[in-house]
Amino acid sequence: MESITVIIKTSKGMKEYTYEGNLNIPVTTLLERINVKHDIKIHYSSSCLQGLCGSCSMIINGLPKLACKTFVNEEATTKKMHKITIEPLSKFHVVKDLVVDRTSMFENIKNSRQWLEEESRINQDNLEFEYEASQCLMCGCCLEACPNYTGEDNYYGAILPVTSSKISKQESDMDKLKFLKENYSNHFYNDCVKSLACENVCPMNIQTQRAISIMNRHSIWKFHKLLKKITE
Amino acid sequence: MVKEIIVIGAGLAGLTCSVKSASKNMHVKLFSPAHSERSQSVMAMGGINAALNTKGEDDSVNEHYTDTINAGQHINNHNAVEKLTNDAPEIIDWLSKLGTSFTRDDDGNVDVRYFGGQKKMRTAYAGARTGKQILTAINTECRKWEYKDKIKRYIGWRFLSLILDDNKVCRGVVMINENTEEIRDFYADFVVIASGGMNKVFGKISGSLHNDGFVSGKLLHQGIELANMEMIQYHPTTIETPVKRMLITEAARGEGGRLYTLRNGEKWYFMEEWYPEQGALMPRDVVSRSIYRVCHEDNMGIDGENKVYLDLTHLDEKTVKTKLDEVYDVCMNYLNLDPTREPIPVYPGVHYFMGGIRTDDAHKTNIRNLFAIGECSSQYHGANRLGGNSLLGAIHGGWVVADQLEEISCENNSSEEYEILNYEYEAYENWKELQKEANNISSYEIEEEIANIMNRTMGIYRTESELKEGLNKLDSLETIHVNSHGCYYDYILLKSLTDIAKAMLSSALARKESRGAHQRLDYPETNEEYLKTTVISFDNDELKITFNDTEERMSW
Ligand SMILES: Cc1cc2nc3c(=O)[nH]c(=O)nc-3n(C[C@H](O)[C@H](O)[C@H](O)COP(=O)(O)OP(=O)(O)OC[C@H]3O[C@@H](n4cnc5c(N)ncnc54)[C@H](O)[C@@H]3O)c2cc1C
Ligand code: SF4
Ligand code: SF4
Ligand code: FES
Repeated sequence: MESITVIIKTSKGMKEYTYEGNLNIPVTTLLERINVKHDIKIHYSSSCLQGLCGSCSMIINGLPKLACKTFVNEEATTKKMHKITIEPLSKFHVVKDLVVDRTSMFENIKNSRQWLEEESRINQDNLEFEYEASQCLMCGCCLEACPNYTGEDNYYGAILPVTSSKISKQESDMDKLKFLKENYSNHFYNDCVKSLACENVCPMNIQTQRAISIMNRHSIWKFHKLLKKITE
Repeated sequence: MVKEIIVIGAGLAGLTCSVKSASKNMHVKLFSPAHSERSQSVMAMGGINAALNTKGEDDSVNEHYTDTINAGQHINNHNAVEKLTNDAPEIIDWLSKLGTSFTRDDDGNVDVRYFGGQKKMRTAYAGARTGKQILTAINTECRKWEYKDKIKRYIGWRFLSLILDDNKVCRGVVMINENTEEIRDFYADFVVIASGGMNKVFGKISGSLHNDGFVSGKLLHQGIELANMEMIQYHPTTIETPVKRMLITEAARGEGGRLYTLRNGEKWYFMEEWYPEQGALMPRDVVSRSIYRVCHEDNMGIDGENKVYLDLTHLDEKTVKTKLDEVYDVCMNYLNLDPTREPIPVYPGVHYFMGGIRTDDAHKTNIRNLFAIGECSSQYHGANRLGGNSLLGAIHGGWVVADQLEEISCENNSSEEYEILNYEYEAYENWKELQKEANNISSYEIEEEIANIMNRTMGIYRTESELKEGLNKLDSLETIHVNSHGCYYDYILLKSLTDIAKAMLSSALARKESRGAHQRLDYPETNEEYLKTTVISFDNDELKITFNDTEERMSW
């Protein structure tokens, strides 16, 4: 039996709880046990409880993480100080306690027209990358960590290159490819400072830098080169 | 006139129906508590079945049909299965064109592998994340229709009740916003329910917390028939973690994983001994019962506990880390166990509901203008579902319904006011009053009690006395005053859970035989009389059960 102090910071203020028991549990299980023990309801989002759905991103000891994949006993700060701090993501509107509204992120992707106009092109060589990009949980951890993303301006953050790079590899409609390129310039290219923070926090280990460089290449390509590449 | 459709639930079934309907120029309102990325569909790892016949094994749609019916022990809706298996190759083609990153073989074909209960390689997959990869593709397509205002998403909304007119025709739904507790009515020509499995009656199972069964419970209360509620799938290989019982996909056995226990210190591959032809890849109900037998009758569980080993250590390390990377991750993260070096301790756990909202082969419910698709509905799987058939069934349901919506004519929607909205407002106010009482019992306690009753009485084997005792206990829970911690939804959920639980126990009591996932110790034989669908509904506040023809069509 070990004991830690659990600090939950919400817009209503800071609350401390003492947790005693097995620490080899993820933060979602910790929250669940606190709720049951104290007969309260701290609201937080969760669905799969195993790192597959992106519901549960929150700030744990200062870093954006999936709560269901973050084990209490593996948190260095917690080991040292016997306490854990949990907060909602800061770059989204807080709905209740640890629950945030990530609609803006989905809207940005929708308005970036991230879909295929034509049937998907199939190229075995691209498959691995497309698969990786499709793993994106839309959890928002990369946006939280990004020094440039505020959620309030035209900068869409790493999710844009991640989705766009896949779509550009599968799309064959020229107008759409052109649009993707322009959209990327307007909402990403000029502002990303390549700090790598997004890649470091991504729970799916998506190589955001690879996605970014694929999109950069697309964006600086002359259009006839793009054409050539596609007909190859 | 543009048809208006309401879809409840945004997993693969709801998404497919929405996207297909939008492409046929209908207007869709798509409701879900959270975005599609959060739905249970993303958790599916193993694959999706279709007789693509690319491995020179002479596979066919017919064989897919036969395997599905045999696994379902002949109480599937045969017509529905025929359509399902027929359309499967076309569905894979559609998904591929939408950009699903299926794993491909050297010839560039979508690769297929072995799965339980099927002798041919028929399960298409996308790495170790088939559900997620497919969902990403359909969701990408969905964005297009959202942008074009053909699909409007309502995120954060949960279903409260159906709006039915005097003739019992469905006119719309009453929904509640989970964050603001706003209660609102929405109208449409057709309503499609796609709300997933009834996970929460068993507490926490392998699937998503969002799928709580509320919708099915409430529908039952409003006169919708449910079917085969006793048919609950125990997946043979789940692991015990501090979080919940987690799934180890059937693909692990499809890729060559073996099941054993220790007998006199020696590895005993019991499945291979008992079923030499298919071994550990027998249908799930058979594998689960075998593990049960090893642990309970032969008392040969590992260390005397309820577990046997799933062994992947003989497989190529690369196979485990790429084709089964999710298995690798889950074991490393939640068990601190490296499955390439050590065997995985497994035991059966509740995983899937073959039963649910009763539908015919057109996915119609017994209420006019109301359809149900995906795991919440019952038609394809009979007494036991084949792995890889539920992703297929979810997508197929959406596909089939969208086709019909285009065809069926609908009368003009009257805009009369319906009582139900006021009733829902009143119920909400009543709850507020109730919450003021001191000494109410915590909703957490009741939820746990319901789950305990279900796990105890609706296990792999069932008996009349236990089922009856369970029903009595459920009755006694209904009079308790509950504290739901300021959350209205948590409060009303309990009523629904209790109704669903009762429907399951009552159906299990009524089916006095053993078939597939439903095994009665007091009726161990399969009985021809029960080659039927168990149908349960409310009749004057009493649950009524009938056994109907499996192919029966709805009257509208
Ligand atoms: C771990 C795991 C692995 C699996 N692997 C496979 C596999 O390899 N192959 C296979 O074929 N099947 C597999 N399955 C089963 C398969 O994932 C599901 O049966 C299938 O995804 C169901 O799709 P659906 O659209 O019906 O439901 P879901 O994807 O569960 O979606 C349900 C939707 O309804 C919403 N909802 C729930 N309640 C409400 C409410 N009250 N109001 C409004 N909306 C609501 C949810 O938020 C969600 O959007 C697996 C399941 C699990 C859990
Ligand atoms: S590299 Fe840095 S600036 Fe660019 S998206 Fe990632 S975190 Fe933001
Ligand atoms: S790129 Fe990674 S961190 Fe960003 S939303 Fe996707 S999964 Fe989350
Ligand atoms: S609950 Fe799904 S990722 Fe954490």
